[in-house]
Amino acid sequence: MKSFSLLDFLSLSKKKFFRAPQWQFKLAIRIFLGFVVLYFLVAFLFLGIGGYYLLKKQNPETDPIFLINSFLGLYFAVDLLIRYFFQAIPVTEVKALLLLPITKRGIVRGVLLRSLGSIFNAVPLVVLLPFCIVHSIENGMTYSVWIWFLSIICLYLSANYLTFLINKSNKIAAVFLGVFTIGYFLDYFFSFSISHYFGMGLEFIYTNLYWAAVPVVILSTSILLADKFLRRQLFLDKGLSKKKERIIGSNLDFFDRWERMGFFLKNDLRLIIRNIRARQVVLMGVLFLFYGLFFFTQDQYSEMPSMLVFAGLFITGGFMITFGQYVPAWDSEYYSFLMCQNLSYRKYLKSKLYLMMFSVIVSSILSLPYLFFGPKVMLIIGASGVFNFGFGSVITLYSGAFNTNPIKLNIKAKAFENTQNFSFIQLLFVLPKLILPLLVFYLPYAFFGFYAGLLGLAVVGLLGLIFQKQLLNLIVKTYQKKKYQTIGSFNKLVS
Amino acid sequence: MINATNLSKKYSGQTVLEIPDLEVPKGQRFGLVGNNGAGKTTLFSLFLDLIEASTGKVTINQIDVQTSEEWKPYTAAFIDESYLIGYLTAEEYYYFLGNLRGVSKEEINIWVQEFEPFFNGEILGQKKYLRDLSKGNQKKAGIVGTLIGKPELVILDEPFANLDPSTQIRLKKLIRDEAEKHGTTFLISSHDLTHVTEVCDRIVLLEKGLAIKDIETTPETLKELESYFSN
Repeated sequence: MKSFSLLDFLSLSKKKFFRAPQWQFKLAIRIFLGFVVLYFLVAFLFLGIGGYYLLKKQNPETDPIFLINSFLGLYFAVDLLIRYFFQAIPVTEVKALLLLPITKRGIVRGVLLRSLGSIFNAVPLVVLLPFCIVHSIENGMTYSVWIWFLSIICLYLSANYLTFLINKSNKIAAVFLGVFTIGYFLDYFFSFSISHYFGMGLEFIYTNLYWAAVPVVILSTSILLADKFLRRQLFLDKGLSKKKERIIGSNLDFFDRWERMGFFLKNDLRLIIRNIRARQVVLMGVLFLFYGLFFFTQDQYSEMPSMLVFAGLFITGGFMITFGQYVPAWDSEYYSFLMCQNLSYRKYLKSKLYLMMFSVIVSSILSLPYLFFGPKVMLIIGASGVFNFGFGSVITLYSGAFNTNPIKLNIKAKAFENTQNFSFIQLLFVLPKLILPLLVFYLPYAFFGFYAGLLGLAVVGLLGLIFQKQLLNLIVKTYQKKKYQTIGSFNKLVS
Repeated sequence: MINATNLSKKYSGQTVLEIPDLEVPKGQRFGLVGNNGAGKTTLFSLFLDLIEASTGKVTINQIDVQTSEEWKPYTAAFIDESYLIGYLTAEEYYYFLGNLRGVSKEEINIWVQEFEPFFNGEILGQKKYLRDLSKGNQKKAGIVGTLIGKPELVILDEPFANLDPSTQIRLKKLIRDEAEKHGTTFLISSHDLTHVTEVCDRIVLLEKGLAIKDIETTPETLKELESYFSN
């Protein structure tokens, strides 16, 4: 049988890309993202080169490699975590290949090889390679540096292949999580640092080259494991099947007390907890809750009230910004259905508006611990909350009318490939969403002082509430005008 | 019940559907047949105001679907699986529809028992999301969903496709019973001439966007249609 080469896989990927709807647009975004990646690559390159001198300057006595070793353990742990969330495994595309005269071994190899192209694997190369070159120039060419370099690459690739196992099996993921947690507690309570011993292990390799066999063994084992694992997954009822899911969130009757609006809220909560994509986005929104820790803890920002207000807006509106910007795309899978139900556009949009307002209330309650930073911080959060509650929610809903990119609910978004829902119009709306509230704060602040600025925010929020009906009318009109276009592009999702 | 006048749909200059005049009276079981690309789904999408008509208009109970949303309370449709909410269980989906059409949870629980033979034990109490059901079972769940709250007008696109033979027979009975009991108007498109002639009392044949035939079903209708399609 013909073996299925990497080239064939690439050609399939290429077709998938160029034959997708709006590929020209996606290409433009890829190019844009390409520049972003390039920027990071250059930054990493400088990190690699500059890193050597920086470490050397701080500790002239020790070899910088020893310093790097000491925190690589922690780095690998974080790396695995990030990979778990963002590295997508191209297993499902394999289904069509099963019936073709390609050996299973060929398919598995294709998948294994292709995963090397992941952006995650490029980081050590671009940082460590220049670092090792500089090290060699400065200290004379020693092959121990290069053995060390190769060992780290080996460990990196092991992480790449271990991700396959972690991603597909909850048990293995739990084991890894357990190890991390235990490691963290050992470090915290008993000063027993796994990362430290990991670093010592790397020193062994650096000083005694026979130890370099260990990473090689680890890599070959993880390749073997991934290979074996994938081979077992190549059946329709195994890895290629849809995971059978447990029903969660079936008991949300609590919300029924608010009748219709509570009912919609209930459904949207189900949407969030039952779909991978939605969970991912909401998680980001939750992270914004901690945004304040970044600003409120540093003295330099206490003189810059605009920055503090900025933080306050993100804390109370994090969910609204991340989740809300994809309203109504969250319902894209069944949008036509909704459009011919006994549900007027107005009621539908109102339910979405209430969802966002509800989220602001929840975020505001969750941000109560910021009281720890004093009443001034709490006032900032309060004013931002009122603004987001009354006015931010309306703006977010309005901008949603222009976002007609569908969302596949139960599919993970890939890191650096999240072009599916990236639209320039959305990008344009980021401006008013962020600049406008700052302006609302800044103008009264500049003339009448800090509290006037906060009052400005709160007043605009209240105005939004008072004129909600009129604003909603405007939004409904906008949505109605775009109805057919929205349905049309949401329908492209199905095939 | 539903009226189309001077209705047409063009895509970049090319006419894909042209219906000068079509009226479906209340209580009729209206069948739509035609080969792929004949314009069946386009016609249904126009009825439901999911695409914009190039000319003409559609009215449901004298209500222009494009300018008012008042037709929605008594209209229901199941076109394809995207008319399900994938992350709900069948029960939750029915409660959702019930809520929109003013039927309480308790009423749904009782009402849905009626359909147990039709479901054949594969829909209710499955502890599965709708997206995890098979295509056939998704269709069953969706078709029954349209009947919640006794809508006056039910539009079904290809309801017989993907169903097993027993369910096809049960579906025919179901449609006839509903039409008789509640005077429901059904619009049904199908590629299966036998089923559609059995269940509908009027058949319209679409070809390249035009209504070629408009016949009342008689015992000879099936033969007539078969001879048309075999040419």
